[in-house]
Amino acid sequence: MKALTANRLSDGEVVFWKGGQWVERFGDAEVFADDEAAIAAEAHGKNQPTVVVDAYLIDLVESEGLWAPVSFRERIRALGPTNLNHGKQEEGGAAIQALQHAHGAARSSGRVNLIKRK
Amino acid sequence: MYQYDTIDKAMLEDRAAEFRGQVARRLAGEITEDQFKPIRLMNGLYLQLHAYMLRVAIPYGTLNPTQLRKLAWIARTYDKGYGHFTTRTNLQFHWIKLADTPEILDQLASVDLHAIQTSGNCIRNVTSDPYAGATAEELDDPRVWAEAMRQWSTFHPEFSFLPRKFKIAITAAPKDRTAAKVHDIGLVLRRARDGALGFEVMVGGGLGRTPYVGPTIREFLPANRLFSYLEAILRVYNRHGRRDNAFKARIKILVAALGKEEFARQVEAEWAKIGDSTDLPDTELARIRGAFAPKSFETLPARSEAFETAKAADPAFARFVRNNVKPHKKPGYAIVDVSLKAIGDTPGDASAEQMEVVADLAERYGQGDVRVTHEQNLVLPHVKLDDLPVVHAALAAAGLATPNINLISDIIACPGLDYCALANARAIPIAQHIAEKFRDQERAERVGELKIKISGCINACGHHHVGHIGILGVDKKGEEFYQLTLGGSGAEDATVGQILGPALPYDRVADAVDTLVDVYLRERQGDERFLDTFRRTGTAPFKEAVYADVH
Repeated sequence: MKALTANRLSDGEVVFWKGGQWVERFGDAEVFADDEAAIAAEAHGKNQPTVVVDAYLIDLVESEGLWAPVSFRERIRALGPTNLNHGKQEEGGAAIQALQHAHGAARSSGRVNLIKRK
Repeated sequence: MYQYDTIDKAMLEDRAAEFRGQVARRLAGEITEDQFKPIRLMNGLYLQLHAYMLRVAIPYGTLNPTQLRKLAWIARTYDKGYGHFTTRTNLQFHWIKLADTPEILDQLASVDLHAIQTSGNCIRNVTSDPYAGATAEELDDPRVWAEAMRQWSTFHPEFSFLPRKFKIAITAAPKDRTAAKVHDIGLVLRRARDGALGFEVMVGGGLGRTPYVGPTIREFLPANRLFSYLEAILRVYNRHGRRDNAFKARIKILVAALGKEEFARQVEAEWAKIGDSTDLPDTELARIRGAFAPKSFETLPARSEAFETAKAADPAFARFVRNNVKPHKKPGYAIVDVSLKAIGDTPGDASAEQMEVVADLAERYGQGDVRVTHEQNLVLPHVKLDDLPVVHAALAAAGLATPNINLISDIIACPGLDYCALANARAIPIAQHIAEKFRDQERAERVGELKIKISGCINACGHHHVGHIGILGVDKKGEEFYQLTLGGSGAEDATVGQILGPALPYDRVADAVDTLVDVYLRERQGDERFLDTFRRTGTAPFKEAVYADVH
């Protein structure tokens, strides 16, 4: 399972792809079971240079019946910093808790590929 | 402090206006991200994990109350109500919007602040002694030279595209509070036997992937020849620095590859060619020196009854004095360290309200002077002993009087993986866990001077190589692990720490530090600091205890 993420150009906000739009909550992100659909979305995302910066795909794992990024780094992006509760996690709710309770670790392969390409 | 003249002010206004146009063009799609990125970086603007980060320059760590209040206002208006002071004595705002940045630069320019030289391969903000102009230890006021270097280096066309970034530190006291020996150039003011002023010049120190303590390439450089000599060093670096490999592009790699003698020989040869035409005229130096003329100190007795009475009556104040108050060159005055290391808080963070409290205290009791230290604290350098009780009370009410300067909870930590796009692991929560373990100030004082420095990646913004205990976050297949180093020092006895053993998982680091402290207390002889004990015993007893505990 994958999701597509980026930072919004105008304010740097972490955003996720959902059916042709960028949304701020990971819980609202489109989850791709199909690699081809994910790659197609990524291509769309990369084609929006005045909307987002550095679009890339992230891998997901199941957590409490919901999805969460495998990479710890991506969970921090989806939640906000861990030293202060003033990022996206401030909103609370089941989707946030699923992210906070998620386990598993892997490098963010989408980001690593992005760096390699540069 | 130095007052910007019309040229400085016009330069800042022009720069902000230029960036306004560049941001508009980027948002309109007229320039690409690849084209825009180096432009925004030259204005201190990074894209991090959650938002843009704006790094504001605080030249040689000196602020006036108006500037600090403006930083507080920006924190409240454009960020989430706080800022983060860094090991470069700069201030980072971590929640900035690109579209707001031109307005923020205008606001900064209105109080002679900016984000120039906070990124890019140029000469960065010069580090100086936070006690400059206040300590009796200094031979001269290093801010005079730091300001001259600021003017010389800002937008210097020859040194704006160096092989890599370039950091200079200057101190005039034997006690080094600038980490001069781990800068690209470290300058220490010296006096010759005939009384002439000059500099010991160290080149090629640095941290990061390849740490080095900078060797001295000139024992004594006459002070009036500083700028031609700096130019010679930078020319040799510009000519031979490794532009082909970013990991080998810092001057430390060149100095190590050539050897200090050969590097020094090339610098001397270049210096002979340059001559003295680029040295600072005495009249200009005198003009700058005038801006740092000694404050109008009152003639006071060395002993303050109000101070002594408060110290005897209030143990909390007495503890604060023991740890956070240092001798001043003038009788009846003191230097006050303002701790940004409240137990459980983020090292180096200051809220807008805290910034305003410090600004008010500086204005009312501190001759309008505030300093930022590379250890992520603030300093009120000129406070009367008579006023210390009221200053302490105001700091305490704002959570700024933690009596822990140079103690185990006075931890340096970079923003780490909580904010930084380069980080492999978090640094802030590790610092918080360790500080919590040493919340008991009695115990912290018994342990004594112990500098813990934490970096979330090998770039070493948290100076872990020169921590008495250094902690480096590493990424093991996506998991946070931490490598411990012992015996480092960033002071006048600069040393790169030794790796203790295999990296530890996140939840074992604070316990491991506790174990290291127990070993130190067991092994300590007399008045030894942690660092002294480690230097005497080596790693063996520490390693045995930490890894016995782990397995």
